Amino acid sequence: MSKLNATDIQGFVLRGYNMPFARFCFLHFEDAESARKLVGALLSSITTGQLWDQGKPQSTLNIAFTFKGLVKLDLPLATLISFPVEFQEGMKSRSGILGDSGVNAPEHWDAVWRDETGASEVHAWLAVHALSAEALDARATDLFTLVEKIGGVRVLDTQDAASIVLDGNVTTKEHFGYTDGFGNPDYLGIVRKSQPGQGKLMPDGTWVPLATGELLLGYADEAGELPIAPMPHLLGANGTFMVYRKLHQNVGTFRRFLDEWSARYGAGDAAAKEKLASKFIGRWRDGTPIEISPNTPDSAITQDPNRSTNFTYGSDTGGARCPVGAHIRRVHPRDAFGFQGRLINRRRITRRGLPYGPYAASDDNSPDMDSVERGVVFMALNASISRQFEFVQQQWINYGNDAHVGNEKDPLIGNHMPGERFVIQGDTNPSNPPFVCAHLPNFVELRGGDYFFLPSMTALGMIAMNLVDPR
Amino acid sequence: MPNQNGSVYGLTLLCPIINDHRASPSHDLQIRAYLATLPTGPDSPFAIAPHTHLARLVVMDDVVFVGAPAREEHLKSKYLVFEANIDCPPHAIGTTGLDTYLAGLAMAAPQQLDAIWSHCTGYPGTANLQAFLHYMKACQIETTFFFAATNDKSVTQTLKALQTQRAVADFIATHQGKDPAELQRDFLAFSQKLIAAPTPKPAVPAPQRPMQTGGRNE
Amino acid sequence: MSNINGKVYAMNAITPMRPWKTWILRAIFFILGNVKPLQSDLINLSFIQFARWVIIPRNSFPFVGAPQQRELLEYDYLLFFSNFNGTWNQYIDAFSAVLSKGLDLVWKWSEKFPGSTPVTIFKEYITRVQFDTDYYYTAYPHATANDVKNAHIVQQTFDALNRNAATMSPDQFREAYLQFVLSVQTHLGATGEAPIVF
Repeated sequence: MSKLNATDIQGFVLRGYNMPFARFCFLHFEDAESARKLVGALLSSITTGQLWDQGKPQSTLNIAFTFKGLVKLDLPLATLISFPVEFQEGMKSRSGILGDSGVNAPEHWDAVWRDETGASEVHAWLAVHALSAEALDARATDLFTLVEKIGGVRVLDTQDAASIVLDGNVTTKEHFGYTDGFGNPDYLGIVRKSQPGQGKLMPDGTWVPLATGELLLGYADEAGELPIAPMPHLLGANGTFMVYRKLHQNVGTFRRFLDEWSARYGAGDAAAKEKLASKFIGRWRDGTPIEISPNTPDSAITQDPNRSTNFTYGSDTGGARCPVGAHIRRVHPRDAFGFQGRLINRRRITRRGLPYGPYAASDDNSPDMDSVERGVVFMALNASISRQFEFVQQQWINYGNDAHVGNEKDPLIGNHMPGERFVIQGDTNPSNPPFVCAHLPNFVELRGGDYFFLPSMTALGMIAMNLVDPR
Repeated sequence: MPNQNGSVYGLTLLCPIINDHRASPSHDLQIRAYLATLPTGPDSPFAIAPHTHLARLVVMDDVVFVGAPAREEHLKSKYLVFEANIDCPPHAIGTTGLDTYLAGLAMAAPQQLDAIWSHCTGYPGTANLQAFLHYMKACQIETTFFFAATNDKSVTQTLKALQTQRAVADFIATHQGKDPAELQRDFLAFSQKLIAAPTPKPAVPAPQRPMQTGGRNE
Repeated sequence: MSNINGKVYAMNAITPMRPWKTWILRAIFFILGNVKPLQSDLINLSFIQFARWVIIPRNSFPFVGAPQQRELLEYDYLLFFSNFNGTWNQYIDAFSAVLSKGLDLVWKWSEKFPGSTPVTIFKEYITRVQFDTDYYYTAYPHATANDVKNAHIVQQTFDALNRNAATMSPDQFREAYLQFVLSVQTHLGATGEAPIVF
């Protein structure tokens, strides 16, 4: 495969920045000319995938557009209609397909995502990541000054996010207390150490990186072809699609549910509670995969990249170690569906995300813990939103047929309706009994988001200079 | 015989649709219009007559031209395709089983069948059962290869099993941690009630959930 | 028209074949039908409830007498009827990803068949030769092939426990019940409405 041109690809696509602070700004374009002027003015400060030889910068900047944004930028119609249907429709229109109904339905989303008139619809996403709160503010201030100066562009809303700090340490934990960020896939040619368990499974049991075209447009994908991309090729190549979802976490509901059900699980003690928590996700809260270490967390595993993601489910088809419906077994089934994993290689997504809101201390007993603004800003990158993100969300998170569990949903992030259950498979060991959690509440609620196109540097230049020709 | 797979039988009929240029709308369109309103739920002819797992009716307008250098050619008639996967235990292999099935259909839903097939050339109607059976079988095509995920269970057994599965899942969820004597007593009462419960009707849609369905391709 | 009913999708496809090639395909189907291990991939894909291939030789379209005219055709035709769970794209993607050799063996005798990989050209071909279903019936719209298999396993296991449940002591029953739950614990998924097909 050809070597990737890291200077043409936005850095956010090629790597997780591992910066503890972020601010996501949502812009509205009043007219094409101002919007182009802004893109042009930002061009030289967009962070690319170039390696940071001199160490991390204080902050980064990235940009992406909704379909409506590209329409507002006056791209030719022939180009606009060459974008995939789901991107043209946007996430709100796809709520039926995604199962974003009930409390997750668009009418409950944050105001910025609910625009009906078109007068303040979201056209662009500007992301600042930073090493410190000061650097974040400084970069954002510069940005807003520029937006102000150019005119014709409005900042509709901003969303701050930050790593959770516990006992003075920056962590990769999320609000339910789980350690996050283990499962991103490796892709061919993307500079990053390849880790067993993170690419695709080979017949001999080894793992190799996925085809680049599963992430980036313009490269061969796992079907042995170029992914569907907008015309002209230069506009699509080295770009990707992003799904942005703000997921509110009902921490109070989660903690109460865990207390209530773990009292009836196994010995009903603190150890049973942690074990039950691990069964939801498939990892202990420190990140240890229960498939490898079903009885206890083991930091020797989580800290060893050769082990932390290196496992399969072939010897656990009954789910006694990791339940068949557990979160990580759903979103990355590895070999669980047979055919040496070949059915899942075109369903992988790259996740970028950060928590937002204050972490609730373990002794926090406030009755309104659910209503505190906190959760995770979930961002997924993939070459095809419909084939990758939407498929995973619909078929594997809000449905269970591929896992042979009927309509059962992901226990933790599924959009639950009254009466739904999570069956935890067990064995004859009293500390690992078969167990059914019933009346699952919604631990997570969707507060809005949309589908974005993250163009290459070349494409951003074309957009800024109004040089997009359909052929 | 490839029409048979275990106790399931794969029925394929191609019935020529009347080609009458004076008919307005044409007979194929009349079939389509009728089929669009024919119920697919418990009122379906296939639900009233037992033994149909899955079935479809398709107006086949023509063969498909796949592009040069393949030749373009056309059918002289349009055909009504009736494709059904039905219960037909091996001991009934051959015409007896098929006759029984088709006769059951004709007796359960004669009006609907006639409303559909009366647009087919030479269709005699269900009133003359022998002629009906003869006609349908004259339109039958032998299956070349037939795959069935489950080939040893009848429609009734499947409906009952789905009922059992749902009830058992409920029972297990509501009887965790019960003491053995109570568990046993409850189970015996439960199983008695379940076995006595009538088999659910076929083609009953899922309990309503606040999620919509509909067909849409990417 | 509706290709969808509950959790199943009805696909119909028709492709022309030169008559001499039909005999090769018949031989392939004969082997596939009689050597069961060759069907294991089809079974393991697990989202097909029923599927059938029907070869109609060019002179064998049903003829019921005048006024029907006899068909005059140069090609034999291969008809394919499938009842599958999940989305159209998922179905074709899966076929292309794990069954491409088998598919090619079945369809390579059809005119202009491009091969089942890469998948986009294959999808274009299927789209061209697919024709829509007017009426689609299923006796169990809320269940997939997997759901049905699960239900039969639960039924069987339940029947076995039930046979002796009354004669056991409570402690014997507790043990038998635990074994029962362990036997059905991966087969309890609720049935219900299908997600929107996309």
